[in-house]
Amino acid sequence: MIERAVAAPAARLRAPARRRALRLGTPYALLAPAALVVGAVLGYPLYLLVKLSFQRYGLPQLLTHHGEWIGFANYTRIFHDAQFWHVLLRTVVFTAANVSLTMVLGTLVALLLAQLGAFMRLLLTTGLVLVWATPVVVSVNIWLWMVDYEFGVANWTLTKLHLGNFVHHDWFANSLSGFGVITAVVVWGAIPFVAITLYAALSQVPEELHEAARIDGATFAQVFRRVTLPLLKPIFVILTSLSIIWDFQVFNQVWIMRDQRPTNDYYLMSIYSFVESFRVSEYGFGSAIALTMVLIMLVVTFVYVRQMVRIGEAE
Amino acid sequence: MKLRVLTVAILAVALAVAASTATGATRSAAGPASKQATTLTVWLQNDAQKGWADTVAAATQAFEKQHPGVDVSVQYQQWGDHLTKFDATLAGGNAPDVLEFGNTETVKYSAAGALADLTSQKSTFPNSGSWLKGLKDSCTYNGKLYCIPYYAGARAVIYRTDFYRKAGITSVPKTLSAFVADGKKLMKTFGKDPDFSAFYFPGKNWYASMAFVYDYGGKIAYTRKHKWVGGLNSPQSIKALTLLKSIVRSTSRASLTTDESHPYPSIVFAKDKVASFIGNGWEWPYTLDDKVGNPALAPVMSAYPMPSHIKGRYMPTFLGGSDLAIPVTSKHKDLAADWLKAFTSTASMTAIAKAGNIPNTTSLLKLNASDPKLAPFAEAAKSSWFIPASPNWVNVENANVLQNMLVRIFTGRASVKNATTDASKQISSILNQSA
Repeated sequence: MIERAVAAPAARLRAPARRRALRLGTPYALLAPAALVVGAVLGYPLYLLVKLSFQRYGLPQLLTHHGEWIGFANYTRIFHDAQFWHVLLRTVVFTAANVSLTMVLGTLVALLLAQLGAFMRLLLTTGLVLVWATPVVVSVNIWLWMVDYEFGVANWTLTKLHLGNFVHHDWFANSLSGFGVITAVVVWGAIPFVAITLYAALSQVPEELHEAARIDGATFAQVFRRVTLPLLKPIFVILTSLSIIWDFQVFNQVWIMRDQRPTNDYYLMSIYSFVESFRVSEYGFGSAIALTMVLIMLVVTFVYVRQMVRIGEAE
Repeated sequence: MKLRVLTVAILAVALAVAASTATGATRSAAGPASKQATTLTVWLQNDAQKGWADTVAAATQAFEKQHPGVDVSVQYQQWGDHLTKFDATLAGGNAPDVLEFGNTETVKYSAAGALADLTSQKSTFPNSGSWLKGLKDSCTYNGKLYCIPYYAGARAVIYRTDFYRKAGITSVPKTLSAFVADGKKLMKTFGKDPDFSAFYFPGKNWYASMAFVYDYGGKIAYTRKHKWVGGLNSPQSIKALTLLKSIVRSTSRASLTTDESHPYPSIVFAKDKVASFIGNGWEWPYTLDDKVGNPALAPVMSAYPMPSHIKGRYMPTFLGGSDLAIPVTSKHKDLAADWLKAFTSTASMTAIAKAGNIPNTTSLLKLNASDPKLAPFAEAAKSSWFIPASPNWVNVENANVLQNMLVRIFTGRASVKNATTDASKQISSILNQSA
């Protein structure tokens, strides 16, 4: 409406303007079907989640399908819960550790892939894909058997290797060693995606650049830091952001390893949210926790996404 | 400017479409189902699948003969998530017609109005005049009946007679101090094997732990002036838990951070490394199972009720059990009641009792008393304790308050006093929450 009013005095500009509008409109028209599907699949649950977080929604409300509006009461309850702050801190530390390990080990595996001969590369890639293809529930249970208290192969092997007395060693007795095991499972499962993606990116870096750097006398580490890393920065940013999002929400690994009843020293944000909602039938409060979690994640990834956009602009 | 308007418009349309499809989906899902042949959905816990699946099948067959054209679909559930699933079906409008509850879980759902009121039909159920009091009480809320007693279980000490004999123990302990002394003898004789436990006790076994508390006169919680007060930090409770900690630390090599079903103690017992453990009646046949147990143990296995610290008494056992309810949302309440009648008949109950359980009626208890495999458990059931009767209790269970406390105590991460004080505070706060 406004555009037309502005355009009217200059009549001869009208035709190009219309063409421009068409040109600008076409991408959105093409996007519309996808946007509709995304809206239906993601938008509606999100809307329900937001609505629930402002309601008291327990068993009685579940039966009548009607929540009771209580404003921000769920949110004030979260911020006054001492446990929430502990859990948040634990989740942040856990995420930082897991993302760093995943990225470092994933990069090393990718560099290794680039150096290997065809046969060994095929072997390693197959291994990585198999890890990636194993369903989480299956792999977590296998890991759980390996670190089993009574019959686990980890305790047996460590004892046989004379690395100490691991008979009846309880890996989960202290939460630090317990989270060590959980971190191992999470990182093990996350490496393939990072490694294969980075390897694909590495193969796109022109060999001449490396060669030139080497001729100038750069060491392997220098080539990596000054040539490879800057070129792959966008990929690193995307992988890191994705890893943060995934590791911040880790649930299955802890839930299955702690027999579906984790003690509170094993609570991560996702577990806390689940226990406080599904386990005690308080769906309003649980939604508020889940939403808080999403907001925190948005803040964290925002920094990365902004950086990514800037890289795009610089180019 | 225009672009932003367009994006918002697209989103708005998308949301509107999403909202309408979602409501449409629920409506159409309810429609055709009622036109098809009637299906009665029954949720039972997997204990039935493992222990008395034949009885379930027989009851269903009898029911289907009585109601031709009605299909019964029995779906076995896990204890860990069956209530979460039930909540989800309540929200989705496809809740089952019959549902098994643990007897600690019924109060919450009765109080919330989720279960059909069966008070007026009570007399039509088999043996309803002689139902086990503990179970009947768990089905009664504000004087009304919301479920049907199913079966109960009591815990006793299952032990190896040959191990006891070799350690020089000639008769089963009659007091708690004798029990502790016997544990020491067993550890002295067999304890060099690092896998051996005289008394296998997983750290999160709160049912057995609370038995110690109730034996010494402690309570999980009690009411004062219409308010709940957590009682685990009372001197009696602290005394009981301190003793239990020393027993666990000196005679058990079970994990301090797992519960009594990961693994089942019977599985470890069947591997010749355990002299005794606190087990449910059904764990006896489970121990001798040729797949998960060891049938060769039959001649050297026995059981006795856990003795009290007071001579001549038994330690109160947790009267665990299950009830069967009809959710208020069921469209086939009469059919559901008929299936329940078939499944809780005297014949079904006899079979369930033989699988190692206490039947729902006192008229069949003589059956347990005459069977040496069942008698110690029936005997132990004479002295029992039960959880605080609050609709919020199940939230205490589900928030793992007691397990957290026990793990902290047994691992030494907190003193008995600190751990019990924290737990008591949490219990008071959960039980006093208004619904």
